[in-house]
Amino acid sequence: MSILGGGIFNGMAVTLKNFVRSYFDKDRLTTNDYSWHPDDKLPERAGDYPKEKGEQLRDTTTVTNYSRNFPMLLHDGGEPMDTIRCVACQICERECPPQCIYIEKSTEKKENASGKPQFYPAKFDIDVSVCMSCQICVEVCPFDAIEMNSQFELSTPDRFVGLLLRRDELLKSNDYYHQIHPEEAKARDKRIADEKAAKAAKKKAAAEAAKKKAEAKTKNEGEEKGDTG
Amino acid sequence: MSLELLKDILIATVPLLVIFPSLFAFTTWVERKALARIQNRRGPNRVGIPCTRISLFGLGQPAADGIKMIFKEDIVPRGADRLFHLLAPILALIPAMVVLCFLPLEFPFWNDQIKAMRAFAMDGAVIFFFAITGLGTLAVFMAGWASRNKYSLLGGMRAIAQMISYEIPLVLSAVIVVMMVGSLDATEIVKKQADWQWFVFTPWGLMAFIIFFIAALAETNRSPFDLPEAESEIVAGYFTEYSGFKFALFFLGEYIAMFAISGLAVTLFLGGGNGPGAGLHPQLAPWVPILWFLAKVLVLIVVMIWLRGTLPRLRVDQLMAFSWKFLLPLSILNIIVAGFAWHAVQKASTGVQAAIWVACLVIYYTAAKGLDNLTRGKVQPREYKYAE
Repeated sequence: MSILGGGIFNGMAVTLKNFVRSYFDKDRLTTNDYSWHPDDKLPERAGDYPKEKGEQLRDTTTVTNYSRNFPMLLHDGGEPMDTIRCVACQICERECPPQCIYIEKSTEKKENASGKPQFYPAKFDIDVSVCMSCQICVEVCPFDAIEMNSQFELSTPDRFVGLLLRRDELLKSNDYYHQIHPEEAKARDKRIADEKAAKAAKKKAAAEAAKKKAEAKTKNEGEEKGDTG
Repeated sequence: MSLELLKDILIATVPLLVIFPSLFAFTTWVERKALARIQNRRGPNRVGIPCTRISLFGLGQPAADGIKMIFKEDIVPRGADRLFHLLAPILALIPAMVVLCFLPLEFPFWNDQIKAMRAFAMDGAVIFFFAITGLGTLAVFMAGWASRNKYSLLGGMRAIAQMISYEIPLVLSAVIVVMMVGSLDATEIVKKQADWQWFVFTPWGLMAFIIFFIAALAETNRSPFDLPEAESEIVAGYFTEYSGFKFALFFLGEYIAMFAISGLAVTLFLGGGNGPGAGLHPQLAPWVPILWFLAKVLVLIVVMIWLRGTLPRLRVDQLMAFSWKFLLPLSILNIIVAGFAWHAVQKASTGVQAAIWVACLVIYYTAAKGLDNLTRGKVQPREYKYAE
C-alpha cells in the first residue's frame, strides 16, 4: 500500500535532482554554451562555424553528438547527384505526419552509387517551418537516404521561400553524417555493410543451391536415361 | 479634497500596478530558467543589457519578449467576431488586476507621518475575490467563441467546465479560514495569524491549504491542469488565434491571476505579511510585511513551476473526476471535521489537543485513501486480443 500522493513527491524529487545536477554536471546538458557573438570574427577552424554557404559543418562548440534538428539527404561522396541514395520511392512523403516533404520523381532512371539504374528525386523539398523533427522519415526510409541534421541556424528574412529547403540544400555527404553523429553513423554503415554481405552470401548460397539442383537434375536425368536405356 | 483623494488612490494602486507586472516579467524568466534546468537545458542566457556583452543570466529576456510582442503583427481571423476578439484579452486582465486590490498589502508613503494605504479595505474581501476571479472564465470563453476556430472553442469549453468544477473546492476550503476567524476581511484574517499562528499549521488548515492549492492550480490553468491550453491536443486552446500584444495581455492576465490566487492562499493560510523582523526600524517597518507577503507568494509560484516541470497533463475525465469525486467530498468533510475539532481544541489541554490533531490527520488520510480507491477504478492488466 503506497502513500497517497507519494508519486508526486517522488517525481518532484527527480526533477529537483535534475535541476541541481544540471549546474554541476556539464555532461547532463544537451547543448553546450553557444559561444559565438555577432560581432566576433568567424572561427578559422572548419567545424566551428561555417565559412561559406553550402556544406555547413557542425559548430562543435554548440551542439552535442545527440542533437538533431531537421532531415537531410545523404549521398556517398563526390558529385551529390551521382551518388544520391534516395530513389524517390516517396515513402517518407506519405509517412510524414505534418506532410512537409514534397517529392517529384524523375522520369528517367540514372545510375546510382552501386551502379544500378534507379529513379531519383527531381524535386525534394522539406518545409522546415512545418517539419516537427519527429524523425519518422528516417525510420521508414529503406535506403538509409534520409538522416537528421544538427544544423540549427536556419533563420531567414523570407518566411515562405527561405524556410523551404530544396534538394540541393538538403544533400549532405555521408562523411558529414559521420562528422555530426559519429557513433550512429558508424553503426549505420556497419549495418548496411552487414546487410550487403548477408545479401551477397544468400545470393551465393542460392546460386550454389541452384547449381547443385541443376547438377542433381542432370544426374537424375542421366540415371533415368540409363534406366530406360 | 478631491486632490487628496486622487493622491490616496494613486498611492494605493500604483505600487500594485508596478510591483505585480514586474514580478510577472521576473517570473517568466524564472519559469523558463527552472524548466530548462529541470530538462537539462540552459534556458535563456543571451539577453542582458543592450549593446553590451553583459548577459546577466538572460535577465533581459522578458524585456526582449515584450518588445517583440508589441511589434508583432496583430492577426484577427476573417471569421472572428472582431469586437469580442479584442475584448477578451482585456477582460482577462482586468479582473486579475482588480482582485489584487483585495490582498492585505498596505503601502506606506513618505510623509511626515507614516500612513499605510490599502486599495480596498472592505469587509467581504474574500467573497469579492472569488466573485471577481470568476469573470476571468468569461474572458476565456469569449476568446474561444470569438476566434471562430474549433481548437479555440474546445479550449474555451474545457476552461468553463474546469473552472466551474474547481471553484467549489476552492471556495469550500477558504470557508475553513472564514469559520475560524469569523470575518471575511483579509486584514482580520492576517491579524488572527500573528505570532506563527498560521492556519496551515493546523490539520484542517493544512488540508484546506492543500485542496486550495490544487484547486488554484486548476483555476489558473496551470500544469498539470492546463487542459484549456493543452498544446499537444488543441494547439494553444482559447488563445490559438491570438498574436502580438493581445496574446501578451492574455499571458500577463494569466500570471497576474496566479499572483492573485497565490496572494489569497498566503493571506488565508500562510500568515499574510506576518513574519520575523516586523519590529525593526520604524521607517522600514511598514515594508517588512510587504516583503514577507511577496516572498511567500514567490515561494508558491516556484512550487507551481516545479509542479509544471514534474507532472504530465491530466485527461479531461480524470480532471473532472478528481474535482467532483475527490476534492469536493474531501473539502466538505474538512468543513465538518474542522467545525467539531476546532471547537473541541479551544478549551482543551495540550495533550487532548495533540490527540485531536492526530485523530484529524488520521481521518483525513483514511478519507482521502478511501476516495482514491473509489475513484481510481479497477485497473487490470491489459488483455491483448490480437497480438500475442
